[in-house]
Amino acid sequence: MRLLTHNSLKNNSAAAKGKGFPLKVTVAQIRVDEQDGIDDDDDDDTKIRFIQGILPNIDWPALVAASQAMGIPTLPPTLTEDLAENRVFLVALYHVLMNVHLVQGILTCPVTGREFVVQNEIPNMILEEEECEAVRF
Amino acid sequence: MSRPELTGPAAHFYNEKEARKYDSSSRMVGVQREITERAIELLRLDHSQPAYVLDIGCGSGLSGQVLEEKGHFWLGCDVSRDMLLVAQERMHNQAENDDDDDDDDESMDGDSNHNIKKQRKSTGDLMHHDMGTGLPFRPATFDACISISALQWLCYSNSAQQNPRRRLTRFFSSLYTVLKRGGRAVLQFYPETAEQAVLITECATRVGFAGGVVVDYPNSAKAKKHYLVLSFDRNSEQKRKAALKDGLSSAAEEQQSVLVTGASREGTKKAPIRKKKGVKTKEWIVHKKETQRKKGKAVRPDTKYTARRRPTKF
Repeated sequence: MRLLTHNSLKNNSAAAKGKGFPLKVTVAQIRVDEQDGIDDDDDDDTKIRFIQGILPNIDWPALVAASQAMGIPTLPPTLTEDLAENRVFLVALYHVLMNVHLVQGILTCPVTGREFVVQNEIPNMILEEEECEAVRF
Repeated sequence: MSRPELTGPAAHFYNEKEARKYDSSSRMVGVQREITERAIELLRLDHSQPAYVLDIGCGSGLSGQVLEEKGHFWLGCDVSRDMLLVAQERMHNQAENDDDDDDDDESMDGDSNHNIKKQRKSTGDLMHHDMGTGLPFRPATFDACISISALQWLCYSNSAQQNPRRRLTRFFSSLYTVLKRGGRAVLQFYPETAEQAVLITECATRVGFAGGVVVDYPNSAKAKKHYLVLSFDRNSEQKRKAALKDGLSSAAEEQQSVLVTGASREGTKKAPIRKKKGVKTKEWIVHKKETQRKKGKAVRPDTKYTARRRPTKF
C-alpha cells in the first residue's frame, strides 16, 4: 500500500459516521523502491503533471503523519505555494507518495478503533454487511 | 458453460487455480484487453495528462496494465485475494522484464522508446475489498473509474444479509462521492437478463449519475458487450470547463454545488409530492383543479372548503 493510497483511504462503516479518516498506520514492514534517476526529463514531466493533478486533493496533515509513521520524516509540516511550484520538491514528493510501500502492518480507524490488516502490501478493507451504512433503496 | 455468478461468491470462484487460469489463457487475456481498450475509449480521457483511475474488480491486473500503457495511475480493488496475488506477480514481473522487447510487457509513462532499458515500476496499487460494501475513499479522489466484467457479481446474493439492490445502491452512491465532478465511469458487465441490465442502470441513475448503457455487437449473443457509461450531469461539466477557462483551480470548482439554472426549470412543472401513497393533500388537489381548468373543463372555484376533510363519507 502506497502513501498515495493511504491518503484517500477511510473507514466507511456505519459506526464511523463519516469521520473514519485518516487511518492510523502501525508499521511492521516497509519497502522503499529506489528513486529513479533524475536524468530522463520525460519521466519527470509525467510525474510532475500527475502530482500537480492530485495535489489539490491531498490531505497534507494526514500525509505527514503517515509518512512519519513509515519512517520518512522529511516532509514539511505545511505545504506552501512556493513548494507546490518547485519541480525538485514535486519529484521528491512523487517518490514519497509512490515508492514507499507498507508491506505488513495495521491501519486503525481513529473513531472506532476498527483495524484493517495490511498483508503482502495489500490492505484488507472488507467490511461485513452488518457494519455497512444503511442506504435507501 | 453456466454462469460463474451462480456457483457462489466471487472470492470463492476466483480461487488460486482459477486465478492462474484466468491470467495464463491468452484468449482470455486478449478479450479482456480489448474490452479494456474500448472502456478507456469510452472514458474519453485526455491521455496527455496522467489521471488517477479507480479499477473495480481489477482481478489479475490486466486492465490496470492497459491503463499504465496509456500513461495513467490506478488503484485496483478486488474481492478475491488470489486474483490480487496474481496481479502483484504480474506487476513485479513487469518491472523486471523491461529489457525484453515484448509488447505485452510494455510499461507506462507514455515513453515508447524500447531502447531505453530502465526499471519501470507499475503505477498501480491493489486493495482487497468488496464493492458491495461501498468504496472507502474520501470524496472526489479519482479522475475516472473503470470496471471490466465485474459488476454483474453484485446482482447475486450469497447470504441472507446480502440484498442485490442494496449492494448496488451502496456501490453507486459511494462511486458518485469518490469521483471528481466532471469525471466519468465506464463499467463493462455481463447481464444475465435484460432485467438485470435495467436493475443495474436504475440503481446507478437513482443516485444521480447521468448516462446509460452502450451495447457493442448487439446482434451477436457471444460477442455482445454491455458498457455502463456514467457521468455527472451536463450542467456540472459545462461549469467545470468554464471555471477552468477562468483559471480557477479544479479544487475550488469542486466545492461549488451544482446550480439548477432557470433555463432548465422553465416549462417543467414539478408535481406536488404526496405525503403518503394514496392520500391526497390539498396541494395536490389544488394543482389538479388548475390543470383541469387549463384543459377547459368546468371546475368549482377554490374556496376555504377545498380539500377539507368531509365529516362523513359521501
